[in-house]
Amino acid sequence: MATKKLAFIVRSMPYKTEASRLALTHAIASQTVEIYLEDGDMVEPVVAFMGDGVLNCLKNQNAMGMYGVTSIEQHLKNSLLLDLKVLICKEDVERFGLSESSLIMDAEDIGGETKATIVPFSEIQQEMETSNHLLFF
Amino acid sequence: MRLGVLVSDFRNVDDTLSRLKADKLGLILVGNGVYLAAVKESGKPSQVLGMSPDIYALTEDLQTRGFSDADVDKRVKTITYDGLVDLIFNDYEKVIWI
Amino acid sequence: MGKLTIGCFSSLVGSLSLDFAVKLANTAIKKGHTVDFWVSGNATMLSKKGQRAFKDYSALMKIVQEMTATGKFQITACEACAEARGYHKEDTLEGFKRHSMDWYLASSFSADRVLHIGGD
Repeated sequence: MATKKLAFIVRSMPYKTEASRLALTHAIASQTVEIYLEDGDMVEPVVAFMGDGVLNCLKNQNAMGMYGVTSIEQHLKNSLLLDLKVLICKEDVERFGLSESSLIMDAEDIGGETKATIVPFSEIQQEMETSNHLLFF
Repeated sequence: MRLGVLVSDFRNVDDTLSRLKADKLGLILVGNGVYLAAVKESGKPSQVLGMSPDIYALTEDLQTRGFSDADVDKRVKTITYDGLVDLIFNDYEKVIWI
Repeated sequence: MGKLTIGCFSSLVGSLSLDFAVKLANTAIKKGHTVDFWVSGNATMLSKKGQRAFKDYSALMKIVQEMTATGKFQITACEACAEARGYHKEDTLEGFKRHSMDWYLASSFSADRVLHIGGD
């Protein structure tokens, strides 16, 4: 029985490329990975937004309305609904002059209980150090 | 942690690199990242070259872009794909691509 | 000898990042390692049958087939990413598997090293 931790670090802006979308969909896939693993083995994901990547976390995205595609906001809420650990880099939030109220911090509207947290980069660094593998998007 | 960072771009890498902390940090310049080893802007080498004592550039990607070993900053060691595989397995426990 | 899992999102045509990933995989295999290769997003183009090699475009089918023949290499395409691009099961090159994204995470679980090439 083992748990391997994978850190999904998002530094890409949303929408121009698929990177941040695929970061979240791959992280969410940790919920079904057991079908390939031995009993008791698990993948523990942590998702962290840093640099320009924090802009993925802005509220009120309407990609579905404008382009007919699921928004990054929805994927982020789905991640929280599935209790994934989501971290947002405090230094970058401040650099862009963003407030917590402007960011997707929870998924209460779809029944989620887990919340995202704004943390200093040092905490993201700690997550990277305790992860088995790092995936940068 | 011993972290190997494959740097594939010439631009927009400093911010991420300057934040990463590791007991051993290796920068492996690949793709357009090799320009960091061989090009000077306004006569100055890239500040990325001062971020670690362990900087490598992929020979195949240097030659693809018209550079030889003689063009490469003395702080940078050139490696082939063969050497890169050894670095990944022997020198670093985690590798990332930016 | 170890296991390297490589994930790549970069397009076959339009970027050399996928070429890099394939050359790295081939070198690792020649040195005795095993390699799992996950193509997702635009990289699923690599799994499409009927590619024609031109000198102006990357052509990686032959080297992928050679790697597959070693028995030390498996390559899997993200099924949803492929379907979204119109690459269906019957369009998939021999040797490629198609799975959902959890395959990649499971491969990472047992890998000694993971190199994820995302963002192009």
